[in-house]
Amino acid sequence: MHAIEVEKLRKEFKVHSSRSGLMGAFRDLFTRNYKTIRAVDDISFTVKQGEMVGYIGENGAGKSTTIKMLTGILTPTAGKVIVNGMNPHKEREAFVRTIGVVFGQRSQLWWDIAVQESFRLLKKVYRVSDKEYKEHMEHVIETLDIGPLLDKPVRKLSLGQRMRCELAAALIHNPPLLFLDEPTIGLDVLVKLKIRQFLKEINEKYKTTILLTTHDIADIEALCERVIMLDEGKIIYDGSLQRLKENWGEGKQVQFTFATEVTEEELCALTYDIKATWRKEETNSWVAHVAPLHVSDVISRIVARYDIQDINIDEMSTEEIIRNIYEEGVVHG
Amino acid sequence: MFYVSVFFQYMAQYMKTKLQYRADLFVEFLSDLMFQSVNLIFILVVFGHTTLLHGWTRDEMIFIYGFFLVPFALFGAFFNIWDFNERYIVRGEMDRVLTRPVHSLFQIILERMELESLVGGVTGMIIMGYASARLHLEFHWYDFFLFLLFALGGMLVYAGVFISLATISFWSDARSSIMPMMYNISNYGRYPIDIYNRVIRYILTWILPFAFVGVYPSAYFLGKKEWYGYAFLTPVIGLVFFMIAVMLWNKGVKRYRGAGN
Repeated sequence: MHAIEVEKLRKEFKVHSSRSGLMGAFRDLFTRNYKTIRAVDDISFTVKQGEMVGYIGENGAGKSTTIKMLTGILTPTAGKVIVNGMNPHKEREAFVRTIGVVFGQRSQLWWDIAVQESFRLLKKVYRVSDKEYKEHMEHVIETLDIGPLLDKPVRKLSLGQRMRCELAAALIHNPPLLFLDEPTIGLDVLVKLKIRQFLKEINEKYKTTILLTTHDIADIEALCERVIMLDEGKIIYDGSLQRLKENWGEGKQVQFTFATEVTEEELCALTYDIKATWRKEETNSWVAHVAPLHVSDVISRIVARYDIQDINIDEMSTEEIIRNIYEEGVVHG
Repeated sequence: MFYVSVFFQYMAQYMKTKLQYRADLFVEFLSDLMFQSVNLIFILVVFGHTTLLHGWTRDEMIFIYGFFLVPFALFGAFFNIWDFNERYIVRGEMDRVLTRPVHSLFQIILERMELESLVGGVTGMIIMGYASARLHLEFHWYDFFLFLLFALGGMLVYAGVFISLATISFWSDARSSIMPMMYNISNYGRYPIDIYNRVIRYILTWILPFAFVGVYPSAYFLGKKEWYGYAFLTPVIGLVFFMIAVMLWNKGVKRYRGAGN
């Protein structure tokens, strides 16, 4: 069974665009200009039980809108959504019992009361028995290391502490499907690592399906085998992260810091037969993008010719690959 | 049954939160008490100048006012939805509410519970006690239950009207000043209905039925037989308006657009 099935899903918003100037405002009183904006434009995909999928895109690409339709918060304009075998907004109350949701920018916990009191309320709301709670949550609390935070009110927690508690709160009813909307936003590296490790663990232990959106590509690299990439409401890539890298990220980057000024023509002339492309980073710093085979060749030619202060060899980072894709707009291969 | 137990869980939580801020609680209690006594003195002064109004005596009007305070306090305690647009729509708190397996309106009512308002109900009872002593009213054992029924009916009338107004936020994101206006209109329900002209009387009975929060039910306890029919309609009108409000709410939630991040 598929955890998520989406077919030709569409969400349109009607927005009122105001005319400029005082006269415009006056005219707006009588006739308004409405524009229909398609936030999500006929997308289709399926997610298997136990998959971890990264849902990425720039701000305003339609990520949050999709997640909100998948969680039953928004009603789609058109198309089919079946999540956990149910229609999210039609059977909302029965449906939300089978999912967990974390919005990184919005708290699910009650601000004024201690974390454990929030948990107790949620336990009641999700009708979790004492036995289930004890079995499942003891482990969660231990792994996320939030035991000492339980008796503190949420408003006294740091962002990292709060986020770990949010995650635990979303898992109280041990849902088979977890939606995470930017769960690591604004967190420091250590907390990020802890959260990633935890997500991996519950995925292995309970076969929890996870759909996450993030701006931190490292989250995706650490967790997801599959990415769905969105641009202007359309899916522009859906497949494995590995394939994305192979198609786009072949080659290495060699960064040189020269002692003296050099020009692009000189560098290109020197390396024209091995098809290196050069990009200027700072005044005397240039990056060559070459096939892995030619890395040593490039280095030996440059070093023989110029005075070099520093050399770095890097793989193309996923972040760069994604940036390239957005710049070119489509995915080939 | 599930909803009842959730209700008590939230209530317990609410008490705990309040008890945490001991100083606050004390100050709040004091200010509530002061507010209510000022209210009481005000009523006595205002009604001190009138003796008879369309066949209603001063003490009868004081009784109506006292009764009115009870459903109003219940409404204030459990349907504190003044800032629904601001808090839930503009700030997007509705997102969170919608991801939980309990009816959204019920959750919001529980989250916004404001039990201190119940103090106003106590004031109301004192006023009613004072008025009925001066009027030498006699009560039967079943009057207590009728009182409860009427008070709840009045609360539902209020809740119905104000929830319906709150649902406007689902259709239009503009903030409107309709809530305070409605609050003013609701005050007319605490004066004898026959002092108004026919149109206003009709409106206060069938369209914005605030007369069912004050005059009509009180008429029963004051022994005004000509109004008994209306008095017994109180719980029915309350239920009807509340159900309409819930229907509008359910329709509105489908149109919820969410707030951008």
